[in-house]
Amino acid sequence: MKKVLSVLLVALMACSFVFANGGSETATAVNADGTVTINLWYGAAITEAGPIPDDWIGYQILRDEHGIDLHLSVLPSNESDQDVRIQAAAAGNSLPDIFMVSRPVLTRLVDQGLVAPVDDYYALMPNRTAQQYDADSIAMTTIDGHSYGFASPGSVAKNEGLLIRKDWLDNLGLEVPTNLDELMEVMKAFTYDDPDGNGQNDTWGYGAYIESDATLKGYPGARLFPILGAFGVDGLWCFEEENLGLNVYKPAFYDAMVYIRQMCEEGVMDPNWLTYKKDDFRAAWKQGRFGIMKEQNAAYAAEANYAPFDANFPDGEWIVIDPPTGPEGYASVGAYDQNYRIYAISQDAVDAGKAEKICEMLEWMSSDEGYYLCGWGVEGVNYVLDDNGVPVTGDLGENAFSGTEGQVYTQLRNMVFYNSDTELASRYPTYTTATSGKTMSALTTLREMQSKYWTPAIGSGQMPTPNADVQRYYEQTLAEFLSGQRALTPEAWQSFIDQFNAIGGAAWNQQGIDYAKANGLVR
Amino acid sequence: MSKKNSFSPEIEAFSKYHNVRPGRVKPVKTPGGETVLMIKPDLGKEIMRHKDVYLLLLIPFVFYIVFKYVPIFNAQIAFKNFRARDGVLGSAWVGFQNFQDFFNSFYFWELLRNTLFYSFGKIIISLPVSIILSIAIYECTHYALRKTVQTLAYLPHFLSWVIMYGVLFALLSPSSGILNDVIKLFGGTPVDFLSSIKAFPWVVLLSDAWKEMGWSAIIFIAALMNIDVSLFEAAMVEGANSWQRVRYITLPSIKPVIVTVLLLKIGTILDAGFNQMYMLYSPQVYSVADIIDTWVYRQGLLNFQFGLATAVGLFKGVIGMALVLVSNRLVSKFSEGSSLF
Repeated sequence: MKKVLSVLLVALMACSFVFANGGSETATAVNADGTVTINLWYGAAITEAGPIPDDWIGYQILRDEHGIDLHLSVLPSNESDQDVRIQAAAAGNSLPDIFMVSRPVLTRLVDQGLVAPVDDYYALMPNRTAQQYDADSIAMTTIDGHSYGFASPGSVAKNEGLLIRKDWLDNLGLEVPTNLDELMEVMKAFTYDDPDGNGQNDTWGYGAYIESDATLKGYPGARLFPILGAFGVDGLWCFEEENLGLNVYKPAFYDAMVYIRQMCEEGVMDPNWLTYKKDDFRAAWKQGRFGIMKEQNAAYAAEANYAPFDANFPDGEWIVIDPPTGPEGYASVGAYDQNYRIYAISQDAVDAGKAEKICEMLEWMSSDEGYYLCGWGVEGVNYVLDDNGVPVTGDLGENAFSGTEGQVYTQLRNMVFYNSDTELASRYPTYTTATSGKTMSALTTLREMQSKYWTPAIGSGQMPTPNADVQRYYEQTLAEFLSGQRALTPEAWQSFIDQFNAIGGAAWNQQGIDYAKANGLVR
Repeated sequence: MSKKNSFSPEIEAFSKYHNVRPGRVKPVKTPGGETVLMIKPDLGKEIMRHKDVYLLLLIPFVFYIVFKYVPIFNAQIAFKNFRARDGVLGSAWVGFQNFQDFFNSFYFWELLRNTLFYSFGKIIISLPVSIILSIAIYECTHYALRKTVQTLAYLPHFLSWVIMYGVLFALLSPSSGILNDVIKLFGGTPVDFLSSIKAFPWVVLLSDAWKEMGWSAIIFIAALMNIDVSLFEAAMVEGANSWQRVRYITLPSIKPVIVTVLLLKIGTILDAGFNQMYMLYSPQVYSVADIIDTWVYRQGLLNFQFGLATAVGLFKGVIGMALVLVSNRLVSKFSEGSSLF
């Protein structure tokens, strides 16, 4: 028995040793059939749809014409889940050859030596580089003087706007608010004067949810940017030379917090705003729960997203308005950064000699053949070109690129799209709503939203992030001020700032200032 | 230098007589103080004889090897500045730095307090609720009602906390939640249960009890099934009412199982329920909601400090093991036969 146990123990130790150090083997670059296997972890374009089917013609083209055996794996739709997945793979030293990654995680992977510098590879993709990568995008992936990933244009910048229920304004005989005082009056009327006329006390002035991060948005987040913008403190960081640093240090930030607290005390905020998740929030405005919100153009105006609201309120109408002006004359829809999707190449892939093939694949994706195939599928099957050369669905039914059968073939489109007019025209077609017969277009809405003033916060995505304790203290204390758990007085605010500085906030702020200065982010 | 086994003449003779190796002969003392010789069973033959049973054992055995024992080797990450590219063995040793980082973190005592509060709170609430439910189901004589209650009680266990969050939100929303509708009906002010530091701990404890009581009751129902029914019949003949039967027969009979469950729960006392807390908490309730596991998730996993995360895991394991050993010793001292080992 002792012998058996001894053997078992030795086997266990051996297993441990193998598992501990055998996570990543540098694979042979060339397979027996002459192809090179490339593992790609991508962010799906349509998160609710399935992965790209095995019969996707792109596999065949890459194999036959480029000698690439492509293996695709879709990342989780939620960004923080994506980070966890990438970091879990990184911890096991088993990153795929090429993968989408957020900038904060990329920084950590570079520190670990897990991703390769790609400075020399741009030249291998002349067409794609001209189309997708410029100095700003390269700066997004530059760490210590080297570029560690390919940053393609992400979601369209400034694609959100402040929206108000025009039908509610009309019902109550109110004008569109232009400043914070008027905004408060309208919010009160929306809350207490039965704007939908149903005889019930079931509406609120402003709807929001907490959507914050530690780079651009900061707590209390992007849904309240128009309020914060009225005080000139929208965005986590201020990049103006005279106020460079965290916005929370500006005296006006306290004033903004007082205003938001007042919104809560007056009862004009949807009381669920602190617990809503994104989907709850979106379900709420479609149910007519509040009359003012900040929303994304497609989430509001795309056909499928607008349809429930249209069915519930055929006479309802949202309009995009100018952000309200604050006491010092500031007004902004919010802070914006250039959005990028970064694809990094693992050091293991480079060591295995796969980098050139990866570049060849990316260059093919940006060729006419790859661009249309990844973006819309096969012509005549998944799309047809209209008179302006814009891919449209025609009468292809469910096989069209927006149909349930066809959309899975466009899951890689975010790797090839660069927000051209053709893409936007195709993505946001004009349509007539089913119930009310309105003519809607998410593209028109987008252009209207982009025409409003936004605060540039370019480079926010590159800024240093705090440790968990500092971030928690920052978010928790602001949340306690807003929810009334902590009295919002100048003394309490100063006490918060002092403690924030003491636990690492001051160091974080200084780190950010130094980074912004060193990287030319100061305006 | 090899050690040569030497056996007594009795053992040599005994092994020769029974045609077995002397190493398989073992002297055993009987209760009367007499020493007798016995043949130790041959493990291989035993396994072959009961191969069906050992086959069943194989699955959990492999599971434990792969997921429980092999990772023990990687626990050394707790003492290293882990760099994935250098591997577990190649990463630099940093001594107790990761433990110091954890113990010196700004919120350490609050994290520990919250973790212990929820762990003990869940035991205090969930355990009695599970026992009561199991007894109620056992005592119920209406077959259809019993099965229906059982099924409904088990069901929430199979829902993820993502789904449970949706259910709780529908129940507790300050604007449209059913509970707040009732509060408003009686003229009260709606309560934001998920954002209030006073209400939040109760939401956590009660929702956990609700979700897990049915599942936890299974083991108690199994124990109840093993009680000799003649005890109940005798008690009824003696005129014992239902409460007396529960108090003097049912509870004492399942006491060893209750103690076992309690000891197992104490072993994971620093696991206060990451999934539940991650779904339910938000910055305004961090002060009463942030537990060790959620902190490790933010600081250790999201910030790529796997050494720190491992150190905390090791700390939790050591504390859990110590508590189990102490508790087991106390149980065996005060209630003989009820201890786990």
